[in-house]
Amino acid sequence: MNPNAKKRQVDFQVIARWVKAGDRVLDLGCGRGVLLESLIQKQSVYGVGVDIELDKIISCVKRGVSAYHGEVHGILENFADASFDRVIFSRSVDLLEQPNATLAEALRVGKYVTVGFVNHGFWRNRLSFILRGRRIENEVYPKKWYESQPTNPFSIDEFDGFCKSAGIRIVSREYLLGNWRDTCPFLPGLFAGYAIYDLTKA
Amino acid sequence: MNDSEEAGPALDEGEVGIVAHSDFVSKLPFDFESGGQIPELRLRYETYGRLNKEQSNAILICHALTGDHHCAGVYGMTERKQGWWNFMVGPGKPIDTRKYFVVCSNVLGGCQGSTGPRSINPETGERYNLDFPKLTVRDMVRAQALLLDSLGLERLHAVIGGSMGGMQTLQWAIDYPERVGRYIALACCARHNAQAIAFNDTGRQAIMRDPAWLQGKYESDAPPGHGLAVARMMAHITYLSDAGMEARFGRKRRGEDSAREHFEVEFEVESYLRYQGQQFVSRFDANSYLYLTKALDRFDLHGPDGSLDATLAAVQAPGLVVGFGSDWLYPPQANREVVEALLRLGKPASYAELALDAGHDSFLLRAPKLDQLIRTFLDR
Repeated sequence: MNPNAKKRQVDFQVIARWVKAGDRVLDLGCGRGVLLESLIQKQSVYGVGVDIELDKIISCVKRGVSAYHGEVHGILENFADASFDRVIFSRSVDLLEQPNATLAEALRVGKYVTVGFVNHGFWRNRLSFILRGRRIENEVYPKKWYESQPTNPFSIDEFDGFCKSAGIRIVSREYLLGNWRDTCPFLPGLFAGYAIYDLTKA
Repeated sequence: MNDSEEAGPALDEGEVGIVAHSDFVSKLPFDFESGGQIPELRLRYETYGRLNKEQSNAILICHALTGDHHCAGVYGMTERKQGWWNFMVGPGKPIDTRKYFVVCSNVLGGCQGSTGPRSINPETGERYNLDFPKLTVRDMVRAQALLLDSLGLERLHAVIGGSMGGMQTLQWAIDYPERVGRYIALACCARHNAQAIAFNDTGRQAIMRDPAWLQGKYESDAPPGHGLAVARMMAHITYLSDAGMEARFGRKRRGEDSAREHFEVEFEVESYLRYQGQQFVSRFDANSYLYLTKALDRFDLHGPDGSLDATLAAVQAPGLVVGFGSDWLYPPQANREVVEALLRLGKPASYAELALDAGHDSFLLRAPKLDQLIRTFLDR
């Protein structure tokens, strides 16, 4: 497995800890279904993945993961209130067209909503802008702005602010350092490279 | 692990080769869902590949409205016309006959050897014609189940079909959950919308208003050919897409525009459709067309409460539904709706949408991603 794939799955362990055996799990932006496959095998969840790319769906099919090819927001409308135990966004919130509306829908459909995201306020990102006047280029942000799809990166402080203003209760959260492996002990807004939040309606 | 997970190309594809059909005949009366009975039933079918010892590798293919039991191979050395899904079925192909035992039968109500409106009623010695009972997709599926009984096939590895075959596939998963291991429904829907019914009825009207139709009692050498050809021409348009037709025909003209009559064939697309219409008359029966299109119009998986959930609750097998972006007859939304209901019910089901420009008929054309999806879903 290449290091990028590994890094992409940084939040899987945390999510697996939060998921209970037999849960109904909806993974929005499920990619190739690696997380769901492992949750299905190890924790006997009922899992559904959603992704916009056909190749990702084919990979899910190969893994025996139920997958829905389409837009995230559209599928949420299909489900009844609290019909899933957990709705997961693993590095997919920054790709949503209307994050507030979709997160509200996810909180309606899921008893818990897990959001894993890259902290755009990580010190290296800040420093790059201050010193170089450019956004950072590394394995997290591998492409130049003109080669990448529109994304809507946000920081831990911004996400906290959003949860507060939207009245979303943060059940738990974990912060990882820039290596996306070790726990970030202090000042996560500055020193956490990656954050995983578990949310529910207030 | 290769991150892209691309399936390798099939390097060693073969053909099923020369095939022959068989007939299943049941001498027991067959009762129709909407009432009515026929004293005996015949289904014509073909099989490819070998049934394994465990009898666990059988795949049933359900054909579309004007398809038949001949989905792969040829009937003779000199014949060039292959079965309608030849690219899909064969050694090394997505429905791999080295692994699977494939069965495909002509539907009940059809006209390619199975009992249908033009069959002779053994009780009267006359053709059924309009005395044939009202037909439903469910009747087609129940007749197929009898065929499988006769072949000793308790359980299928998979059921697969497109369009009307997709509706049969869904019906299989609903009516025989214990017999279906998995299913793939392509370019399908849970029911016709008004537009689909409108097209079908216009086709039926073209047939029934043809003076040769004679209330269905036409002689075989004098069928309502004009009506049937027009019905086919119109239906054929609904199987294609705007972009597909434009790419293929555009405004291309036939030959020089000289001393031709004003309303003779002028454009390529006219020539193509007229040819399709004529071809169809030579191979398809008008009464069968009426019964099958009506069965499609009446097909509806929505329960009395207007939702699919009550009906689809019976499904147990994992399913794959594939919609095609350019299909405006059974558009992606109609396919998606089925999977959305299955997922609401907590069933294992997947939905994939292919961006092909061949319209409703996309499932009848070879496309690498379609191959890959079907192969992957069947083999895992």
